[in-house]
Amino acid sequence: MPSQTQPAGTPLGVGILGAGPVTQAIHLPALARLRDILEVRHIMDVDESVAASVAARVGATSSSSMDALLGDDTVDIVAICSPHQFHAEQVIAACRAGKKAVLCEKPFAMNADEAARISEVSAETGVPIVVGAMHTFDPGWLAAEGHWEDLPATAHTIRSSIVLPPNARFEDFATEIVTRPAMGTPDYADIDVIKAMMQGGIMGLAIHDLPLVRRFTPDFKDIQVLQARHVQPFGYAISLRTPTRTIELRAAMNNTWQPEWSFEAIADHSALRIDFTPSYVQAGSATATFSRGTETTTLGPYSHNGYEGEWRELAELARGSKQPPSAQTLIDDLTFALAIADATVDSVAADHHRRPGAIAATAGASA
Amino acid sequence: MSATYSVTATPGAEEAGAVALAVASLPATFGPAADGAATPDVAAIAGGPGWTAEVLDAIESGSRGVLVVNPVPEDTARLSAAAEAAGTAVVLDLRWASNPALVSQDGGPDAREAFRSALGTAAMLDSVATAAPGTDPQRLLGEHLSALLEVTGTLEAVSLLQSGTSGYTFSGRLANGAPMSAHGVLTAARPAGVDIRLYTADGGVSVRLPEPAAAWPAEVRVTGPHGGLLLPTLYESAHRTAWRRLKEHLTAGTRPDDLARFARLTDLYATFADT
Repeated sequence: MPSQTQPAGTPLGVGILGAGPVTQAIHLPALARLRDILEVRHIMDVDESVAASVAARVGATSSSSMDALLGDDTVDIVAICSPHQFHAEQVIAACRAGKKAVLCEKPFAMNADEAARISEVSAETGVPIVVGAMHTFDPGWLAAEGHWEDLPATAHTIRSSIVLPPNARFEDFATEIVTRPAMGTPDYADIDVIKAMMQGGIMGLAIHDLPLVRRFTPDFKDIQVLQARHVQPFGYAISLRTPTRTIELRAAMNNTWQPEWSFEAIADHSALRIDFTPSYVQAGSATATFSRGTETTTLGPYSHNGYEGEWRELAELARGSKQPPSAQTLIDDLTFALAIADATVDSVAADHHRRPGAIAATAGASA
Repeated sequence: MSATYSVTATPGAEEAGAVALAVASLPATFGPAADGAATPDVAAIAGGPGWTAEVLDAIESGSRGVLVVNPVPEDTARLSAAAEAAGTAVVLDLRWASNPALVSQDGGPDAREAFRSALGTAAMLDSVATAAPGTDPQRLLGEHLSALLEVTGTLEAVSLLQSGTSGYTFSGRLANGAPMSAHGVLTAARPAGVDIRLYTADGGVSVRLPEPAAAWPAEVRVTGPHGGLLLPTLYESAHRTAWRRLKEHLTAGTRPDDLARFARLTDLYATFADT
């Protein structure tokens, strides 16, 4: 069981596994605003030169091994910003290393079994885990939560719409990136490429807002995909329904300069719209607007965004001044996202095979 | 100076189309027909089921112009032929598609032109129609589709994904193969209207169409690498625009192509019955 008696006046130590663009352009700038409570002490990346370069910016130790970071006693909170497939193993290792709290970038696992194992380890070790679904920590969302009354029970239509330029535009507003990953040119005629892009669209982009969608979808376990369409160069148009909800998910990542990131929940007599600020930049919180006929109420914007909100939450959890989130909530959020991702991939594959050309090709191959 | 053309309106047309207000805003051209007068110059008819038969009656009784408020999809082949033969101008006053921001009446910039310039690089079209609870979703869908066709020109492979008491969703493809999704939402929480958003490789076009109950201006925004452009706002309702179009045709002696264009909507709408 980790100690939770850090003196209130001493910053907690942060260690980060993975020093890619998200660490450089999101977490370090957010932590720079919280120097009075959090201090970056260790940066690990499999590329030793990247780890050293990024660590030097914040005066932290660098390493290229997870064990070195987890063995660093100055690290109280571990942030896992590595590729998705390493998340589960690293979350479990951080819990077992006796750290005070763990932040895992979304998704925190790639299947329900991994999620259950993480939950068990978290319960066994008492280490609280926060999943980096930053919008759930956005002050605009949290303010809406305090005002939405019965909307989660009465909403019949839910929309998430995400329009963003390539990440590099906002990364460059936030920091000076070292070693940006190279982007290839996808072959849109290859169904496996499309399936991978749809899977990535759900687990990498839609997943930011799926916990929000789930809050307004009590029958989330009974979800059906009505359409799943890939949007070039990267994005999706997905229509879902449950017995009581219509859910529309849209995303387009193009070369626009104008981002738009909105979430809406609409009932017969009230509606909520939340406009989020883009990731990477410190542009304050979302703005939440409630509409009831001709009456509208706006909450926000507030001075910080959901990433900073996450770190504030982690500091409180590590100090033991706040209760950790329910493990079941994290598991339900994950299984909801996985169910949508799987059904979406199945849907685009089925559409592909229904095309006359695809059927002919398949028939020819089997003959 | 008295009005040039006398007008009568059925109660349904008056209620749905605010005919008296529109006529009063074009006082040199239109005026109410005197009580007990013979055939009016212009008949305003509500576009509920069977509207084509009512328009045929108006044509046969000698009206020079007919304005139909919010017509539902219906076969217009016989009506087109009759209007052509009689030289009657039939103008359709469509809830959203008649908004002057979509198609300029005087050569100014409009949404149709903005969309046409952008459709070649379209990545996705997303549209939401909002109307009050209790609205017939099928009727809303027709009005929504009509507004979409006004800016896209054509839609391919349309199919209805779901329809119920709280709205509907349908999908299709733009001419370049990009996905189109549209849904209707029944709620009293927000003003009724239609949003249409076209996303392109480097920006897009968005349109927000208000109800024609007042002269709220639509918003048309074009976004590109240069920045964003708001097209001039037009404080004219869809109703008045339709009446102004009728005036132009009556004055010039020309025939509008409303019925021919509406036939495309009727054909497309019929495909929903198969999905």
